This record gives sequence, C-alpha cells and structure tokens, in this order.
Amino acid sequence: MKCVQVHPKLAAFVLGGLEPGETSKVQRHLASCSGCRRELEELRKVNRALELAPPPAPPPAYLKGEILSRVRAEEASLSSREESEEPYHLEERGRSARVPRFSRFKELRIILPTMAAAAVVAIVALGVFIGFLREEAPVATIRLVPSPQEATGLKGYWGVAEIRPQPAGNQQVELKLNNFDEPKPNSYYELWFVSGEKRISAGSFTSVGKGETRVLLNVPPEARNYRTLLVTEEQADSATALSQEVALKGEMP
Amino acid sequence: MTNLIDAGIEAALSKLYDRYSRTVFGVGSNILGDRSLAEELVQEVFLKVWRSSHTFDPSRGSFSTWLYRVTRSVALDLYRKRAHRLRPVPDGDSHMAIIRDSSAGPQEIVDQSWLSWRVSRALEMLDARHREVIELAYFGGLSQREISERTGVPLGTVKTRTASAYKSLRKELAFRDTSRKVIQ
Repeated sequence: MKCVQVHPKLAAFVLGGLEPGETSKVQRHLASCSGCRRELEELRKVNRALELAPPPAPPPAYLKGEILSRVRAEEASLSSREESEEPYHLEERGRSARVPRFSRFKELRIILPTMAAAAVVAIVALGVFIGFLREEAPVATIRLVPSPQEATGLKGYWGVAEIRPQPAGNQQVELKLNNFDEPKPNSYYELWFVSGEKRISAGSFTSVGKGETRVLLNVPPEARNYRTLLVTEEQADSATALSQEVALKGEMP
Repeated sequence: MTNLIDAGIEAALSKLYDRYSRTVFGVGSNILGDRSLAEELVQEVFLKVWRSSHTFDPSRGSFSTWLYRVTRSVALDLYRKRAHRLRPVPDGDSHMAIIRDSSAGPQEIVDQSWLSWRVSRALEMLDARHREVIELAYFGGLSQREISERTGVPLGTVKTRTASAYKSLRKELAFRDTSRKVIQ
C-alpha cells in the first residue's frame, strides 16, 4: 500500500473500524512509513479528545417549548409592569438585570449574526434571521382542524400551519391557533409530521387558550414528504410511548 | 407590530436553542451526572441567555465562549444546591469517569468541561452526514462496513466521510487551548 491509499483509511483505522485484512495492510505500511505514523498520532489525538465528548443525546423535545413559554410569560409580565411604572432611565440606574424589553430584543438579535460570523455562516444565519422578521409568504398553508374527540370543546376555533423553507433545508412551521385550549396540567402539545407509520416531531409548545397562540417550530428536510400534520397532547412526566391523543389534524394541499 | 417583535424574539432564541442545546445538555450531563438536573440546566441557561443577552460583548470572545461561561456558572449553582442528589459514576462509563475524578471538586469538574464543550461544538459543527458516521463509529462502536449496512451509504463513501470528519475535527480542535484565558 502507498501513502495515498493509507491516508484516507487512517481515521477508520484509529476507530478500529477496518476489516481485518485492511487493518493488516495498514499496519504493515505504518511499520515502514514515519510520515503516516505522524499522521496517525494526530488522528489519535482526535480520538482522545472524543473521549471527553458528551454522549450524543439531544435534550427532550418539550424543553424548547417550555423555555419559550417562560420567556413569553416574563415578557408579558415585564410589559405590564412597564406600563404601570414611570419611564425607565437606563443611564441613572446602570445596566442592571432589569433591561427594557426592546433593548433585550435588540441584544438578542445581535448575538445571532455575531456568532454566525465566528462560525463562518454569517450570511446564511443573517438571512435566516432577517427572513423571520420579514414574514415572507409561506410556501404552504395547512388548515388544522380539531380531531373528532376534541371537536365539541373547541368552539370558535380556527388554526393554520404556515410552512416556510429555510436556507439549510429545514422548514419553519408557524402555527397560528385561535381559541385553542391550554393543555392539561403537566402536559404539552407536540406537532408531528406524519407519513404512514413514520412521524417526525417539529417540537413542542403550549397554548394560551382564549385568543391567538402563535408558535414557531422547525422540522428537518426529511419531513418534506410527510404530508399529514398532527398536534398531540403529551404528558411531561411520561416515560411511556407517545400519546395517541390527537387534538388537531391537517393535510398538505 | 408587537406580534412581529415577539415572533422575532422567539425566532432568535429558538435558533440559538437549535444550535447549542445539545452541547449545553451534553456538557451539563457530564458535569452534573444527572439527566433531570441537566434538563434543568438547559432551561436555566437559555433563560439566562435571554435575560442577560446585554452582557455579551463580542469584542471579548465568541458567543460560544460566552455561552460556556453561562453554562458553567449555572452548572456550578446547580451542583452546589443539589450535590446530595448526584448519582454515583456508573461502571465503565468513560465519559463520566474522566470528568468525575474522585479527587476533583465541583470547580475542577466544571473547569475540565471546557474541553468537553469544545469537542461537542466541533462535533455539532460537522454536517449531519459526517456527524452520523462519527457517532456510529465512535459512540456506537460500529465498523465501517456495519455503518454502510446500517445507513445504506456505500462503504467507500462511509470511509471518505470518516476521514473528512476527522480532518474537520482535527482542524477545529487544533489541540492547543488558546481560548482558555478568555473564559477564566
């Protein structure tokens, strides 16, 4: 084996993933090639670093919705306090923990393009973010209707899911739900893209009940051909299988 | 207008969550050794990001470094408050064994997590196809042929992706900790 043949196999060799015959050939080459041994040592450093990597498990899906709900609640609380107080003089009080909501908004907006620049994806990230603000026309609007079990409890209800493509291939889903009941205590809603027996979660959320609930969720490109949308009610502390309790259903046009 | 602004806030936080929550959760699990505490950590970290976004100064370091500091601070608080709830290290769990050396106190454990954070971020920056082969090979212990059979990707492509992923990780990690002074 020559160096050009060995180099592309070294990562798999370090991982112990080559077939026995291939492993022997690489070992024979390494015995007589100091250049490839140096390369091997560099790749072993990667392996040692991977020992410190956390296990590749995502946090549970409901967490995101819970965090966004708490942000929404804090926002609402802050707004009502600001309306009932004197104007806030930032210069006099300094940068305390209490920051006017519009300042917070601007600061949070700044973070995305800044970190994206560091990650050499500035243009894409900025495009995504500006896209959110611009409220571009959706490529698909799906009407969500209550499933039969829930129909009687949702008077005055209407709901749609608007789907917008994102630069990385993801799809952004904006749910606009009107008079959609709050989930039961210790429960949350989850949006699914379904195809036959397969389903992909678009994330979890809660509802404000009376009035309009607007939620932004994302699904990966793989959900593109999943034509049915389901909103199910899930129990937060359930370790069992997914809920079959469908609250809303929609079909792609 | 208010709806639009609310949508903007949520979109920004949502985007940050999508990009960093796996790292926060993973590193948090390593530090705290408890999944439910790590979930609490994720919530507190992103709420803190939201409440304290004005303290992020891009001239002092990257967003990732700032977020690590937030995570470390919240993890230390949780560690101290709930130390009695920590579980013992499971036998054979190399990740936990490295982080949770018996001689290390909470501060040391948290400090060691910086490399864990960097490795996690390096993995997250791989595209999904490359990350998949590394996860299956390293964490799943599968051979290149088994990965090919599992994913339906040709064996040659699996090898190419593995080599390419290692190249990216090597470049990203660079094996010198020049950022450490920034996070102290």
